[in-house]
Amino acid sequence: MAEKPKLKVSFHDFTSCEGCQLQFLNCEDELLDILGHVEIVQFREAIDDKSDEYDIAFIEGAFTRESDRARLEHIRKCAKVVIAFGACACTGGLNVLKNYRGVKEAMRTVYGDQADWYETSVALPVEAAIKVDYKIHGCPVPKQEILEVVKSVVAGRTPRIPDYPVCVECKLKENACLFHKGQYCLGPIARAGCGAWCPSYGGRCYACRGLISDPNNNAAKDVLEEFGLTVEDIMQEFRLFNGVYDVAQPPDNAHVKSC
Amino acid sequence: MLPHILPKENFDDFVAWLMTQGRVAAPVAKAPNFSFDVLVDKDDIARIRMDYDVTILPPKKYLLPSYETLLDFNGPAPENVRAEIDARPTVLLGVHPYDLHGLQTTVAAFSQDPADASVLARRKATRVIGLNIASYANDEQFMADMGTVDPPDGVADLFLTDIGDRYFVEIGTEAGSEMRRACDCFRPAGPEDHRARQEYDERKAANFKKRLPYHVRYLPELLEASYDSLLWDAVARRCFSCGTCTNVCPTCYCFDVHDNLNIDAASGVRERMWDSCQLEVFAEVAGGENFREQTASRLRHRMFRKGKYILERTGKPGCVGCGRCSVHCVANISILEAFQQIAGEAAEMHAT
Repeated sequence: MAEKPKLKVSFHDFTSCEGCQLQFLNCEDELLDILGHVEIVQFREAIDDKSDEYDIAFIEGAFTRESDRARLEHIRKCAKVVIAFGACACTGGLNVLKNYRGVKEAMRTVYGDQADWYETSVALPVEAAIKVDYKIHGCPVPKQEILEVVKSVVAGRTPRIPDYPVCVECKLKENACLFHKGQYCLGPIARAGCGAWCPSYGGRCYACRGLISDPNNNAAKDVLEEFGLTVEDIMQEFRLFNGVYDVAQPPDNAHVKSC
Repeated sequence: MLPHILPKENFDDFVAWLMTQGRVAAPVAKAPNFSFDVLVDKDDIARIRMDYDVTILPPKKYLLPSYETLLDFNGPAPENVRAEIDARPTVLLGVHPYDLHGLQTTVAAFSQDPADASVLARRKATRVIGLNIASYANDEQFMADMGTVDPPDGVADLFLTDIGDRYFVEIGTEAGSEMRRACDCFRPAGPEDHRARQEYDERKAANFKKRLPYHVRYLPELLEASYDSLLWDAVARRCFSCGTCTNVCPTCYCFDVHDNLNIDAASGVRERMWDSCQLEVFAEVAGGENFREQTASRLRHRMFRKGKYILERTGKPGCVGCGRCSVHCVANISILEAFQQIAGEAAEMHAT
């Protein structure tokens, strides 16, 4: 039987810390198996080569400059499958915080007098510029989901990406609920798939993997308010990773268009 | 089989002996809650909290683990498929009566045709040591209504009641009788012990007041009558559909099965994990149709499972009144409160 040609994989980075690409390299036990089935042709963080011939493109980072649009469109044209890789690519991630401060103010804070030297605009998910086939959520992305998506794409299957709250995984780990400890958490509306990372180590969930498709936002606001948070506190909690969602917008004062 | 006494000074020796019989799972602290955890070594005996109130997850997890591998396969041919059943000898120590009822319901559900080989093999490999309770642990419990204040017959091999400096040990099964004979920590119960046990029951009877405004025999019909009530919509406004209520439930048994393929797309494992009817994706079928799309219909479905369907299906209580679902709900949705409210709802629906 003739050997199936290996799928070509590329990695591209936009506005991000590149930590998600590092997570790919962290799949140490599985990397050799993966490389038996795919060939990496572009990966700034790991190899020197660069090629425009690829089947699967992983895009890390938010879309924050209009000039990035052409680069994104080029990747879309080259790749058969585009994967938004990590919180920044999927929801804009932390970068969206900038939108709420105002781009000009953010530029002044970061670049001072040289603010005019640089180009930037509101931070948006990659999806705002091009069609995305799959999203691997998280800050950083969980290793098990990288593997699930890579295996599924290679096999031509739809990957299983959880669309239920972090509470499910947290309960199965039998963690004491943070709400029981008098703290609060976005677990009830946050997308699972991380294995309840943060609550398992005593931290609260900031919903870095985005929200589930049908979150009960009103209940979330009610419950957080009962825990003594003001509307502004709650908005800030939502905005950290999910500023692009409607739920993070103040009632009459939308700063950015929702996606 | 006549009851015996386990002096508390012998408790550590008793547990150490149990550890020679298999892995021992016992209640330990998980601040601010408790959980059943497997004792790793003898030093762990000091972690046991026989004074626990209620654990986060019920001991059901030792019969139906939240995650397990059912098959291991290396290609589609039958000779490449290997069934896996992990049924290690296990002792569950300190199981309260409501959880004994929960174990009974779980086993009844998985014994129905087609019987589940994994769960039943684990049950067979499991010894259960029950532990009596004298009062409610919180305001959400209603075991007195659900008939789960006392242990069901034949579930606990030994059943312990704390009567001060000693446990009164009732022997519930032949296996329990063998344990009593094989372990030298026990002595026969005398008249003083029997009296102490009677007094415990009197205290218990005084403490366990019923909390439903009607007899539980009417619960299935009251639920039926309140099917179209607006109550479900009202409660659902706060519901996150997060699945916590079903994950902590001693009688919920829904699961999902999927194949986890390796990258060669030929080998892999078939996995089973707990599922929850409260999750939006639970009732989604091929083509994208979802027959319980609304939060309210999922919430009502759970209440009906607990108060009606499971009872009708297995003959055992679908709700044991342990209160876990209500205590762990971040939105404070209370099954007791819902069951209390349907009496009025049903009367109102009937009147119109």
